[in-house]
Amino acid sequence: MTAVLTAEGVRKSYGHHQVLTGADLSVDPGQLVAVVGENGAGKSTLLKALAGTLRTDAGSVRLSGSLGYCPQEAVLSDNLTVAQHLRYFAAAYHLPGLDRGEQLLDRLGYAEYRNVSAGSLSGGTRQKLNLTLALLHEPDVLLLDEPYQGFDWETYLRFWDLVGELREHGTAIVLITHLVFEQDRFDVLADLTGGKLHLRSPRTDGSGGDDDRR
Amino acid sequence: MTGADLMARPAASPRGRGGFAQFPTAVRFALRNQTRNRLAAVLLVAFVPAWYALMMAMVGHQSLDFKLYSTGQTLTVDGGQLTLISAGLNALSLIVGFAIFDAIRKTLAFDKRLVFAGYRQANLIGAKTLSISVIATAVALYAALVLLVFWRPSFGGWLAIAAGYAVIALTYGAFGLLLGVLVKGDLEGFFLIIMGGLMDTFLQNPLGNPLANKPVLEWFPSFGPMQAAVGGAFGHTALWGRLALGLAWAAGFALCGLVVFRIRTRSRRLDQAGLRCTASSTA
Repeated sequence: MTAVLTAEGVRKSYGHHQVLTGADLSVDPGQLVAVVGENGAGKSTLLKALAGTLRTDAGSVRLSGSLGYCPQEAVLSDNLTVAQHLRYFAAAYHLPGLDRGEQLLDRLGYAEYRNVSAGSLSGGTRQKLNLTLALLHEPDVLLLDEPYQGFDWETYLRFWDLVGELREHGTAIVLITHLVFEQDRFDVLADLTGGKLHLRSPRTDGSGGDDDRR
Repeated sequence: MTGADLMARPAASPRGRGGFAQFPTAVRFALRNQTRNRLAAVLLVAFVPAWYALMMAMVGHQSLDFKLYSTGQTLTVDGGQLTLISAGLNALSLIVGFAIFDAIRKTLAFDKRLVFAGYRQANLIGAKTLSISVIATAVALYAALVLLVFWRPSFGGWLAIAAGYAVIALTYGAFGLLLGVLVKGDLEGFFLIIMGGLMDTFLQNPLGNPLANKPVLEWFPSFGPMQAAVGGAFGHTALWGRLALGLAWAAGFALCGLVVFRIRTRSRRLDQAGLRCTASSTA
């Protein structure tokens, strides 16, 4: 299978602090990859580098297809309603309508907030909208930086249903997570330690890694 | 990995076009964002008439000399009426500068995300420019209409004042845009707008001001609008050149602000049209 996202030797330093020292990653269509690591290991930096929102010092990232990126902090416009966000991003993605957006509002369970300004939404609902904006154009590759922060349990389960559907349609997903109990959901666990990614299958090796997953 | 190394290949399966046109959508939401500042709205409704009333009560009607630089004339004018013009310019510089600064600063990260998702920067830039122009002109018209409660100049004079107001509102709207993309904190931006607007507009008024009618005032943004407004209201001359000078300040601020906006919101991804593409980069 041809990888839709390939990163080779990605390096990034902030001053003298080397965060990424040559990270390699290859993700196939439909594959679900978890990036795990201690706080400050550089997980968000890696995802920004993969997304292309961060200028790196060295290395290469190759992306085939469209990209959806959900940043850790919800980047929204507080004066606009949920529906206006969908419309704005539909224009950005050149979508013909809001069908997919409406679907996602239902799937994530916040359709009743359609006409509420983002500034008045709770943290969890803001995060749902943040995620929706990354999914709106049905991207081939999805980069999610701790996408379920603030989700209640039901929404969390809905999120995983949605991820399952996306994978069936061939979407490659790279997700940063801290949760120990969910590692069996992933095809690959990518430990970010020492600025490099160490890949393993969660089903064949449950030992080792960082404290977050114990 | 550098942005310059990114390469794209032609789209394999272009997504559907049509649907929501980017420019009108951006104009609509830029207008919404820039008119949702409640403090600016309160200032507009309450502060403008209160400021006029206060100035009228404080200044009285002593005669003042005001030099028109285009004609070389020195006009002897009613100090209260001159101060009303000056107070209007001052109020507009504060309100429009504050409202635009606040709106631009708060939406900068969101605009960056829009560009990353495929919004053309030109559409966002055009929408912001149009939105600021519409808001500045509307607010200036309001301030010029409220002025009529306190003073009834000739119609031509009122038009000159309204034009001067529109130019100062555009100038400080553009200044707010520039600060909004440059300054990180609220306080720095508000301080620069308040101090800049106060110094700029009050130095143009000869009331108790030793710098009045000195050539150095030509180098301030409100020089053009003040000259045009006073020339029209008291000298019965249309000073288009002075208005153009004020517009040049507005254009200068706007250009600098939009260049910085373009730099700060640019995306290194090349699939900006939402098309399938390959982006790669090498060290």
